[in-house]
Amino acid sequence: MKMIVVFEKAPRLRHIGHLDLMRAMQRALRRSGLPLCYSQGFNPHILLSFAAPLSVGMPGRREIMEVPLSEEMTAEAFLQKLSSALPPDLPCLEARGVDDRHPAPMALLSAAVYEAKMEAIPEGLSAAIEEFLAQKEIPAVRKTKSGLKDCDLRPMIYDLSLTGGVLRMTLALCEKATCKPDLLLDSLFAFSGLPRPRALITRTALLGEKDGALVPLEAL
Amino acid sequence: MNDTENARLERLLEEVQKPARYIGGEMNATVKPWDSVKTHFAFCFPDTYEIGMSHLGMKILYYLINGRPDAVCERVFMPGADMADRMREESLPLFGLESRHALSEYEIVGFTLQYEMSYTNILEMLDLGHIAVFAKDRAEADPIVVAGGPCAFNPEPLTPFVDAFMIGDGEDVMHELIDVIRDGRAEGLSRKEIFRSLARLEGVYVPSLYDVSYNGDGTLKSFAPNDPVAPASVKKRVVKDLSAAVYPEAIPVPYTEIVHDRMVLEIMRGCTRGCRFCQAGMLYRPVRERSMERLMELADKLQQSTGYEEMSLSSLSSGDFTCLPQLIQALMDRYREKRVSVSLPSMRIDSIVKQSLEETQQVKRSGLTLAPEAGTQRLRDVINKGVTEEDLIRSVTDAFECGWSSVKLYFMMGLPTETDEDLQGIGHLAKKVVDAYYALPKEQRSKNGVKVTASASVFVPKPFTPFQWAAQDTIDQVHEKQAKLRQYLKIKCVNFNWHESQLSMLEACVSRGDRRMGDVIYAAWKRGCRLDSWNEYFKFDQWLGAFEDCGLTPDFYAYRERPYEELLPWQFIDAGVSQEYLRKENEKAKAAQTTRDCRRGCNGCGLHTWGVCDWVKHPPLKDTDKTSAPLFD
Repeated sequence: MKMIVVFEKAPRLRHIGHLDLMRAMQRALRRSGLPLCYSQGFNPHILLSFAAPLSVGMPGRREIMEVPLSEEMTAEAFLQKLSSALPPDLPCLEARGVDDRHPAPMALLSAAVYEAKMEAIPEGLSAAIEEFLAQKEIPAVRKTKSGLKDCDLRPMIYDLSLTGGVLRMTLALCEKATCKPDLLLDSLFAFSGLPRPRALITRTALLGEKDGALVPLEAL
Repeated sequence: MNDTENARLERLLEEVQKPARYIGGEMNATVKPWDSVKTHFAFCFPDTYEIGMSHLGMKILYYLINGRPDAVCERVFMPGADMADRMREESLPLFGLESRHALSEYEIVGFTLQYEMSYTNILEMLDLGHIAVFAKDRAEADPIVVAGGPCAFNPEPLTPFVDAFMIGDGEDVMHELIDVIRDGRAEGLSRKEIFRSLARLEGVYVPSLYDVSYNGDGTLKSFAPNDPVAPASVKKRVVKDLSAAVYPEAIPVPYTEIVHDRMVLEIMRGCTRGCRFCQAGMLYRPVRERSMERLMELADKLQQSTGYEEMSLSSLSSGDFTCLPQLIQALMDRYREKRVSVSLPSMRIDSIVKQSLEETQQVKRSGLTLAPEAGTQRLRDVINKGVTEEDLIRSVTDAFECGWSSVKLYFMMGLPTETDEDLQGIGHLAKKVVDAYYALPKEQRSKNGVKVTASASVFVPKPFTPFQWAAQDTIDQVHEKQAKLRQYLKIKCVNFNWHESQLSMLEACVSRGDRRMGDVIYAAWKRGCRLDSWNEYFKFDQWLGAFEDCGLTPDFYAYRERPYEELLPWQFIDAGVSQEYLRKENEKAKAAQTTRDCRRGCNGCGLHTWGVCDWVKHPPLKDTDKTSAPLFD
């Protein structure tokens, strides 16, 4: 069986890169005494996969990983064991046991929700967002491994709203199309001509698609 | 730190390189509510997080202090240069990683002295921590600054900055030191009175209670206490029973990669070999082993508390550990299921390891490192490195048969009595290692082809070694020798690395320095020197300028051979090994006479009179008893 696990990467750990986070999680799993699965080969490592790596500098409120197990067990027992082995800034929140044939979270991922907490909110931002979204096309330049690429952000924006000083964004995050929140903010503030305030961006949820609607990935 | 300082620090972390160095919160980091304890101890490692976090001594003392209900120990590291500058600009104080209190808020600020070229970092850290750099400028309520570790055996260069030094094994003295400071503070004693109480503890040196004077030629004239409580000689502390001593059962597991990112089992302290250049070999006498039972217990606890996937064994000469084969076998059996690999001190490539290499990769195949130290048998006898060419060739042949294909050879240049022949010997030895590989049948050796790396460091004479009186080679001599070695090592499949001679020269000055060297360190720091052991920050010219500022010359400290009659700045410290013994050893070195391993019979180094050396009572090893060659690092 395998466990779909929801965990938090607290703000203190935002400077920890993905590989370091993965190593921390593997060590926590080793401490937990859970029945883990190992890779074959000369340097066996714990089998473990994350739905989507977090960028350095970004905390994650509901991150998702998949942990294959060599023995059946309940989600409660799993959570209890893992919780006792995790450091304070990396708590696990939920777990759900699924069959080995259940698709990997990474394969089901289609979008993510981000919240940008801004130090100061420029006057007229709400109106600017409306105008920004009214565009048919939002041309932007995306950095990829193979260089700079022109793209259209508009179809990758599912939602963009400002409430109580927090800018909430639901953006495409999958193999075919990914819009990073930073790029969106660049584009929004360039379009509006407003000064861009400092902001701490947190990824608050990972989403998948069910019957044409976006739902929490862990529920799929 | 208050809320606004905290917020400014968080913002700083967005700007600097490697912010993960400064976040704390690691698994097994000990956080205690600040007001729940009386004594707050800031354990300062005067280098960056990645280096300091790899250091075993810090882990031991962190665990030991935090085991006390009345105290907390927090970690402080030297920030990177960018962070240090920005902290100064923002007037943010250097802080403990656990609670983010400013360094000046701890009752005790303790530095570990692992290498001399970290000393400017101590000044930088005090200054960043808003603590007066000079001990004499500190106010009554300021922290008490203490220091310990191997370099504390010559504390004199740091006496202007440190209130009290701990000499010898830290586990042994730490509780007493904390008790004295805690009680002194509770009773409202003055700093001076607390220092006087500290001076009464065995193994504690309070420099302000001693006066020194110098001769016209700059040598030391006198060194004496100026207060009746201060002993004329300060005796090092020794942990008698290592198995009973405190050892961490949990250690902080870093998020970011550090230099040695694994659990470490210290199997033994001290060494019986008596290499004459080796300061650790003299300072950490007598040799003490941890019991198998205790080691297995510690291994289990560490593995469970850290989740580390790798374990390494630590000591000065692990091959000499009595039960090494049994220990390795037991560790491998215990951790096979858990996929924990064991990094071996690479010397014992005997049957067990050979077999396990064939079965699994549980034994880490790290690079093979050998330290013959000198190129000829004569010079190896001079330094008492009890290794022959046959030992070396047999070991590398074994290793090549087991699939190793790259070998590192460590040498020193500038050893006492060294001649051109000894340098040529380094070339010959490297060539013989290559030949040993090609002497094996093709199907027995690795397909990768052989690679030999020869490294030659510059010899630095150290206090409490038989060479403590010796002159170091000048930088020009070193350059000349390096040029020759480059010629002698132009051998197919051999690479040659050499070390920067300027750093070694300064190390020689500081390690055998007197109190005036403190002025030089201060002047160097004022001139912007810090992170000296980092190539990109090392400023040799500024160091030379610092000597000039103080009216001193490096030649006096590094290049001068001291006569036996000279009063040495560190002579008041009793390290157990007597000055007479060191003199005798130095004379034997000049005659290229070797001294036997202590386990083959007591050599009377001085520690035999302390009642702490097991080998004094132990029946000596016979000629037929095998002791593996101490070839490896």
